Amino acid sequence: MALYKLNVNGKEQSVEAMDDMPLLWVLRDLLNLTGSKYGCGVGACGACTVLVDGEETRSCLMPVSELGNKKIVTIEGLSKDGNHPLQKAWVEHDVPQCGYCQAGQIMAAASLLTKKPKPTDADIDEVMGGHICRCGTYQRIREAIHLAAQGAK
Amino acid sequence: MSARSDLSRRSFLKVMSGFGASFALGCFPSHVAGLSDEKADGDNNVVFAPSAFLKIDPDGTVTVTVSKSDMGQGVRTTFAMIVAEELDADWTKVKVQQAPANSSVYGGQGTGGSSSTRSMYQNLREVGAGARAMLIAAAAKDWGVDASACKTEKGKVVGPNGKSVAYGSLTALAAGVPIPTDGVKLKDQSEFKILGKATRRVDNPAVVHGTAKYGLDVKVEGMTYAVIARRPAFGASLEEVDDAAARKIPGVIDVVKVGSGVAVVAKNTWAAIKGRDALKLKWNMGENASVTSQSIREGLVQAVGPHKEMPAGAKAIEAAFDLPFLAHATMEPMNATADVRDDQCVIWAPTQTPDGAQGQVARMLNLPPEKVTVNVTLLGGGFGRRLANDYIAEAVQVSKAAGKPVQLVWTRDDDTRNDNYRTMSHHALKGAVDASGNPVGWSHQAINAGGRSRGAGNYGRANLPYNIPNAGMAQGSGPSPVPTGAWRSVEHTQLDVVNECFMDELAHAAGKDPFEFRRDLLGNDRLKNVLVTAAQKADWGKALPKGWGRGIACFSGYGSEAAHVVELSVENGEVKLHRVVAVVDCGMALNPSGVEAQIQGACVDGLSTALRAAITIDKGAVEQTSWVDYQWMTMDAMPKLEVHILQTGGNPGGMGEVGYPSVMPAVANAVFAATGKRVRKFPIKVEELV
Repeated sequence: MALYKLNVNGKEQSVEAMDDMPLLWVLRDLLNLTGSKYGCGVGACGACTVLVDGEETRSCLMPVSELGNKKIVTIEGLSKDGNHPLQKAWVEHDVPQCGYCQAGQIMAAASLLTKKPKPTDADIDEVMGGHICRCGTYQRIREAIHLAAQGAK
Repeated sequence: MSARSDLSRRSFLKVMSGFGASFALGCFPSHVAGLSDEKADGDNNVVFAPSAFLKIDPDGTVTVTVSKSDMGQGVRTTFAMIVAEELDADWTKVKVQQAPANSSVYGGQGTGGSSSTRSMYQNLREVGAGARAMLIAAAAKDWGVDASACKTEKGKVVGPNGKSVAYGSLTALAAGVPIPTDGVKLKDQSEFKILGKATRRVDNPAVVHGTAKYGLDVKVEGMTYAVIARRPAFGASLEEVDDAAARKIPGVIDVVKVGSGVAVVAKNTWAAIKGRDALKLKWNMGENASVTSQSIREGLVQAVGPHKEMPAGAKAIEAAFDLPFLAHATMEPMNATADVRDDQCVIWAPTQTPDGAQGQVARMLNLPPEKVTVNVTLLGGGFGRRLANDYIAEAVQVSKAAGKPVQLVWTRDDDTRNDNYRTMSHHALKGAVDASGNPVGWSHQAINAGGRSRGAGNYGRANLPYNIPNAGMAQGSGPSPVPTGAWRSVEHTQLDVVNECFMDELAHAAGKDPFEFRRDLLGNDRLKNVLVTAAQKADWGKALPKGWGRGIACFSGYGSEAAHVVELSVENGEVKLHRVVAVVDCGMALNPSGVEAQIQGACVDGLSTALRAAITIDKGAVEQTSWVDYQWMTMDAMPKLEVHILQTGGNPGGMGEVGYPSVMPAVANAVFAATGKRVRKFPIKVEELV
C-alpha cells in the first residue's frame, strides 16, 4: 500500500492503494467516479476507457503506480457542463441503448477527434473497432462522431 | 370508451387506499380557487398521484413510474411516452422513476419475451387518460363550465373562451376528483402527438455524463466488495479451503463459503479479486470432468429419431445443422448489492425479474416479502441473462455470512464461464418437393442439450409460416451438465434459424428463386409484405460480382414480422459482409428510434453468432473467458445496415427479439449464393462449408 497523488479531471486527489491496483478501481471504488465502467478487466472491451495525457487508455490495465503526475480525464470531466460536441451528438443521435459501454466509446472518440478533427470512416474504424457495444449501437456511434466532427471548429 | 383493465383499476385503487389517501381524501387546501398559471404555484403543495404509475407535482413535473426493467430496449422511454400521450403532457416536463419490486401494485415485473410494451400498453394509456379526465374535471368545476367544453394540450387544460391552466396548478383540485370508475376514453391513433414520433431516450443525458447508475455503481454506507472463487467444472465440489494467503492481502476483510464457492470480502473490488487469486482451493472435479462439446454433440445426434415419411415419388433432401452454446455476455457483468439484517433485507440489482428476486430472497431468509426491498438499477444489458437471480442470491448469502452490506461482483471470466447458456443443439431436417417444385413434406428433428436424454419421437406442428403440407417437428434432448436459459429470441434462435436455412435448400431443390419460393408459400400477409419489401429494398435479383451473394430469410413472432437480406462475398477463406437490409412490421412503432435501435442491435447479434461467437466445453467447463475468445462484432467489421420500419398501425408488436432470427439464415443463404456451398454449422467457417 502506498499514497498516490493523482491528477483527475483537473483536481489533485490522494489515494492509498496497492501498487498494482488498476486505475479503473481507483476511480470507481476509491474516488467514487463510477462513470468509467468495468467490462472485462483485460482490455478487450473498452468500457473503462479514460484519457491519460490525452491518450485513449484502458484504465482496467493501468496500474496506479505508473501514473505519476499524468493528467487523467474521465467521462465526468470530459467537459465543464456536459456539453462536449460528442456528448451532444450522442444525445442528438439517440446513440445509447443500455448505455453501459458509452462512456468508454465517447472517451475513445474524444481522443480520436483531438488527433483527427475530421475523421474518415476508416479512421473511426481503427480506433472504435477496439470497443465492444453488446447492444450494437455501432452505426449511431459512427454517425454521432461525424456529427460532432462537423460541429467541431 | 374502454373498460378499464384490472391492473390500471388496481393501480388507481391502491393509491386511494394507500399512500395516496393523504391527498385523495379531503386533505387539500381550502383556499385554492381562481386557478391560473401564475397564481397557484406558491400556494399549492399537493402532489396529484392518481395511480402508482403517475404523479404530477405542483411545478408541473410529470413522473411516470416504470415497472419493467430497462436493459437497453428503452422501456423507460416508451412507458413514459405512452402515459404522456394519453395525459397530453408536455414531454419536456416528463420524468421517469424506476419501481422497486412490488407486483401487487405494479403487476408482474418480469421483463422478457418482448412483452413489456405489449402487456402494459393498454394499462398505461388508461393511467394517462384517467388522470387527464380528472384534471379536466377539476378545471371545469373550478371554472363552472361543463367538462365536455374543455380540452387539453401539452400539459394544460384549455377551457371555453381560451382560458387555460397548467396541470401543475391543478394538482390539489384534481386530487379531490373521484377516480373514474366507468372507463375512460382513449385517443384514436390519428390523434397521437408523442407516440409514433422518434423520441430520444430519457436516460441519454445521464449516460453521456457518466452519471447513469447501473448495478455496479451502487454505493451504500459501509459497503464491502466480494468476488467468488467458482467451481472449475460443472458439478465440481469443494473439498478444502486454505485462505491464509488471501486474508493477508491488504484490504481483504473476510473469506466466507457460499453455495457456489468461496467469497472473498474486501474493502474494494481489486482487493477482493487479488484475495480470490490467493485462495488455495482443492476441488473434486465430479462426474462431468471429461465432458466436451463433442461428447455432448454425440448425445444429441443419438437422440435424433426417424423422420416423417415423405410422399412417394417426391424429390427428398436432407440436411443436419449444429448450433453451439451461447453466452449472454452483457457489457455489465452479473452483480448485486445486498444488505441483510436480522429482520429485513435491501437489494440493489440490475435484474429482469425484481418481483421474482423479492420472493426468492424472502424464502432464503425466511422473511415476509414486504421485508425484502429490491431496488432496480439500470441494466448494462440483459438479453435474458438477468431473468435468473442467481447473483442476487449469492450477494444475499455473502452479506449474511459477512454481516455487512456487500456488492457482489462477477468478473468477466466468472460471467463468461458461469452463464445460463443458450443451449447447444443439433437439427436434422428432411423435406420434399413434387415435380412442379411445390413442397410436399417437411420433417424437423430438433435436439437440445437439455440435461437428460429424450428421443425426439412425437411430431407436432412445424411452426413454419409457410403453407407446406405434411410438415412437422419433433423435439428431443441429449445429456448435458451445462446450465441453460433464455437468450434473446429464445427457441427461435435455433428452430427458425435452421428452418430458414433449410427453406433455402428446398427452394434450390425445387429449382426456384429462394425469395419467390418463400413469398408464394406465405399465408401471413403482413410477413409477405415485409419479405417483398426487403427483396425490393435490397435489389433482389440484381447481378452481383463473382464471389458475391445475397441471402434472404424472414421471421414471424412476438407480434411482429421481420425479414433480412444479407449481401456478402467470400474471399480468401473469409466471409466479408457488405450490406444488410432489414424490414420490420411491428404494427404501430411507438418510438421509431427505439424500434430502429432494436433492429440494428439484433442484427449485430445475428452477425456475431453467424460468424464469430461460440461457447465450447472442455473438461466439463466453458473454455472461453472474455471477448478475447468469445468474439462479438466490432464496428470495423460491420456492413452497411439499412432498417425499414413498416407502420401498419394497430397495437404495438414486440421489438426486443423479432430482429434476430432471420439474420443468421440470411447470412448462411448468402454464403451459398456466393460459393455454392452450404452452412451446416454455426458460427460459419468457410473451411467447414459443404
